[in-house]
Amino acid sequence: MERDREESVDLAQISLRPLQLSDVDDLMVWTTDEKVPKFCTWEPYSSKDQGIDFIQNKACEFLWSRAICLNDSAIGFISMTSSSVTDKSRGKSVELGYVLGSKYWSKGIMTYVVKQVKKVAFREFPHLERLEALVDAENVGSQRVLEKAGFHREGVLRKYLFFKGKSRDMVIFSVLSTDLNHQD
Amino acid sequence: MSNLDLSKISLRPFKLSDVDDFLLWAGDDQVTQNLRWKTCGSREEALAFIRDVCIPHPWRRSICLDDRSIGFVSVYPWSGDDRCKADIGYAVAGDYWGQGIATKAVKMAVPQVFNDLSHLVRLQAFTSPQNKASQRVLEKAGFLKEGLLRKYTYFKGNIKDSIVFSFLSTDEFPHDD
Repeated sequence: MERDREESVDLAQISLRPLQLSDVDDLMVWTTDEKVPKFCTWEPYSSKDQGIDFIQNKACEFLWSRAICLNDSAIGFISMTSSSVTDKSRGKSVELGYVLGSKYWSKGIMTYVVKQVKKVAFREFPHLERLEALVDAENVGSQRVLEKAGFHREGVLRKYLFFKGKSRDMVIFSVLSTDLNHQD
Repeated sequence: MSNLDLSKISLRPFKLSDVDDFLLWAGDDQVTQNLRWKTCGSREEALAFIRDVCIPHPWRRSICLDDRSIGFVSVYPWSGDDRCKADIGYAVAGDYWGQGIATKAVKMAVPQVFNDLSHLVRLQAFTSPQNKASQRVLEKAGFLKEGLLRKYTYFKGNIKDSIVFSFLSTDEFPHDD
């Protein structure tokens, strides 16, 4: 956690909008930063072509996605994927994923964004029952985001995923449509 | 019910000739209520199910008592990047409940499965929170209960909670009691 730049961010300057090709240079800032995909399945990007490919071909494959913007410049990305993609019996469940440039970590930005998206998810998808997220057991920062955003920690799935050469224990979190009625 | 000699329990692939024994339990709603299987309604259905599903299955075994089918154990591996994990399921004929047969069968299956599926790291099982008997089978077979997944899956038309258990290739294989 960097403490040498203590600039706090006015969360009113944070917004969500679709990712655009013109965001590619901003996208390259977090995708080339080794710290950022440490717990992600992807490796840091090495060329702008990868950034262009993501914006043009990959971002649209998600069920829903947005660029996380600070004063309309992209500093991260948040997405939802239907769980029925991997398991046909799980059509009422959606998985949340997110990434933020490391310069913006520890300022409450991700928690703020996840809280908004939590509400958006159940509004956009009225039949949605369950929003879940899986976080590497070593990624304490991301676990805290979900806890502060009101997700329930359900357990640790041991060696649930295998990527970058090793098995990962994943902590599974969820929020149900019925939880929302009792929150915020 | 008298004490069953569990050494008479064995696991083997299904055969078409199992059909009549198969129908006794696969045709029983009590047995299939906790499975994703549809209850078998006829000998023809049972034959087709053994031929088209059980025999070509990546890893499915008949639980046998004196070589007659009284249930099954099934392991379904995920594919691609997820082939490190597989789902286990099982059932035993109603007449044979309460005698430790499912536990014995799962204990026998676990080392075989890790031997047969080379990429497997994690064997997982999902049970209904109401199905206490099945949870005890997994606990006695050495699985670790990891948590309650709320409104996790569609099961026969309804969204259900699931309790998730796992057994890892690095866990100690179960011993016979």
